[in-house]
Amino acid sequence: MIETLLSLKGIAKSYGSVRAVSDLNLDIRQNEFFALLGASGSGKTTVLRMLAGFETPTEGQILLQGRDIVPLPPNRRPVNLMFQSYALFPHMTVSQNLAYGLEMERLSRAEVKSRVDEMLEIVQLSHLSRRKPDQLSGGQRQRVALGRALVKRPRLLLLDEPLGALDKKLRGEMQMELKRIQSEFGITFIVVTHDQEEALVMADRIAILKDGGLLQCGTPHEIYEHPGSRYAADFIGEMNFLSGRVRAGELVTEDGTRIAAPVPADVMPGDTVDIAIRPERMKIGTTNLENMVKGQVVATAYLGLDLQVHVQTALAAKPLLVRMTAQEVDTAQLVEGDDVTIGWTAQDTRVFRA
Amino acid sequence: MKDRSPALLMAPALAWLTAFMVVPCLLILALAFFRRGIYGGIEYTFTLENLGLVFDPLYAGIFLKSAWIAGLAALIAVVLGYAAAFAIAAAPARRQPALLFFAVLPFWSNYLVRTYAWIVLLNREGLLTGIARWFGYDGELPKLLYTEPAVVVGLVYNYLPFVILACYAPLSRLNVEIGEASRDLGASGWTTFRRVTVPMTFHGIATGFVFVFVLSIGNFVTPALLGGGQFQMIGNLVYAQFLTANDWPFGAALSMVLIAIMMGLLTLQTFASEKASGSGRHD
Repeated sequence: MIETLLSLKGIAKSYGSVRAVSDLNLDIRQNEFFALLGASGSGKTTVLRMLAGFETPTEGQILLQGRDIVPLPPNRRPVNLMFQSYALFPHMTVSQNLAYGLEMERLSRAEVKSRVDEMLEIVQLSHLSRRKPDQLSGGQRQRVALGRALVKRPRLLLLDEPLGALDKKLRGEMQMELKRIQSEFGITFIVVTHDQEEALVMADRIAILKDGGLLQCGTPHEIYEHPGSRYAADFIGEMNFLSGRVRAGELVTEDGTRIAAPVPADVMPGDTVDIAIRPERMKIGTTNLENMVKGQVVATAYLGLDLQVHVQTALAAKPLLVRMTAQEVDTAQLVEGDDVTIGWTAQDTRVFRA
Repeated sequence: MKDRSPALLMAPALAWLTAFMVVPCLLILALAFFRRGIYGGIEYTFTLENLGLVFDPLYAGIFLKSAWIAGLAALIAVVLGYAAAFAIAAAPARRQPALLFFAVLPFWSNYLVRTYAWIVLLNREGLLTGIARWFGYDGELPKLLYTEPAVVVGLVYNYLPFVILACYAPLSRLNVEIGEASRDLGASGWTTFRRVTVPMTFHGIATGFVFVFVLSIGNFVTPALLGGGQFQMIGNLVYAQFLTANDWPFGAALSMVLIAIMMGLLTLQTFASEKASGSGRHD
């Protein structure tokens, strides 16, 4: 049975008349890698700071294993935060940084040392234990910050944009590293990020926040394949959007083309809608799909893994983006100006009320 | 080609200081190695007697006393100044310039006037006595003016703004998240202050302390005005040698030792700051 570790119950936070977070309800499970995803200003950092104890919610409860932790100051919470800026102690060595939190628990000197050494091993910093933070690279500092929080063995580890300051290649490595450490330690991770790709790669479940409220919560697959709103569809991955309307029981685009798609129950006849199709769900050169549209290739971008083809159609002013796999590319041999037919299934089409 | 403009820009100031400060100082200090003439003046025969006399218990005692007063003043000024700087740095950012301005405001008035103001306060029938009377106290207040504490109070008062400025700089640059990180790791507010805030701003404290100490140990105005005639610090002793006893060689010897102490402390403080700024940086 999956146990709930943390419950946010009706959490709200206002600064004067500004509402940063409103009526947020979330359940986070034991050993889960959970991502709070949102653009800047979505309230995700405020949520994280309320969990760590640096902000007090205006309303609501934060239950950690059934106990409300809102009245507890940050130093009394079995929760640790890895700061976006890392916030390492510049006057202390790597070892001293790691030992600090354990010293606060009044552990014996021998125990502190053995746990620090063990953690240095895990974050691969044993050879740098006597360095000060300003003598380390960005990636090394990031691992000190992670180790300093992890060594406390918190029940919940909060990570604020943990990979934001790293370059792209390092970020990829660290994503896997964080996942490995999380499953090895069996600690629940809540990571705040604005990077949807990072959330998709690392998280077991993602909550998308917008304007201080919860937009959607689900596994990466659920959120990617079944976005609950146009915003979520746009925010996660790439998406082609067409505007359309429901007329006489049929879905048509602005130029009158009929689109086969499952229409959600809340869409009424006459409503304007947004129609969304993922680029990789569109096929070039196939027949017998429910939706077939003619167009002309206006640009191609070769990315190694796949080919992005921009196809101008009558459906929208903006060219549609189609992603072809390497195999498809080999057979199709597309060049700019080619006339093509794009097809996709009704099942791969999402419709949102505009 | 090497850029010479820094040297060129520094040259006028350096030349000025060399010609009008370093050289005259060296000339005065050189007097320490000559004999005093029988009727004042200088007899140009080499001697180490003057320097030896400095370490005579009588004068060494005055040195120790001066160091004690200066150390006490520096300590009190650091405690008060650090607290004030801490409060200013914690205030809303837009109010900080005004608060700093008020903290430094007394600096813009004349040192003598400020010290005389303390005489008005501490005098036997001064303001403090007046206030005590107003509250119905009829007895005699303990003697306030012309005491050692009065000198310490005067020195603290005069040099406090230095400490506030010296401590405010590192405190205002402190990353708030580092304090939060300490709390997050389980430290109380006090432990955070002791183990994170103070060590990270230590060069401000050291700078403030050394400044107050160096300025106090050689001070002669405050001990003369608030300490009364009998009260002597090194500054008063030097003053007396040059202007009343007319013993320039001994005055020069006293100055030489005093300057050596100051230079030693300032050098130490510079090294300490450099070390602190070397490891205290973060981005």
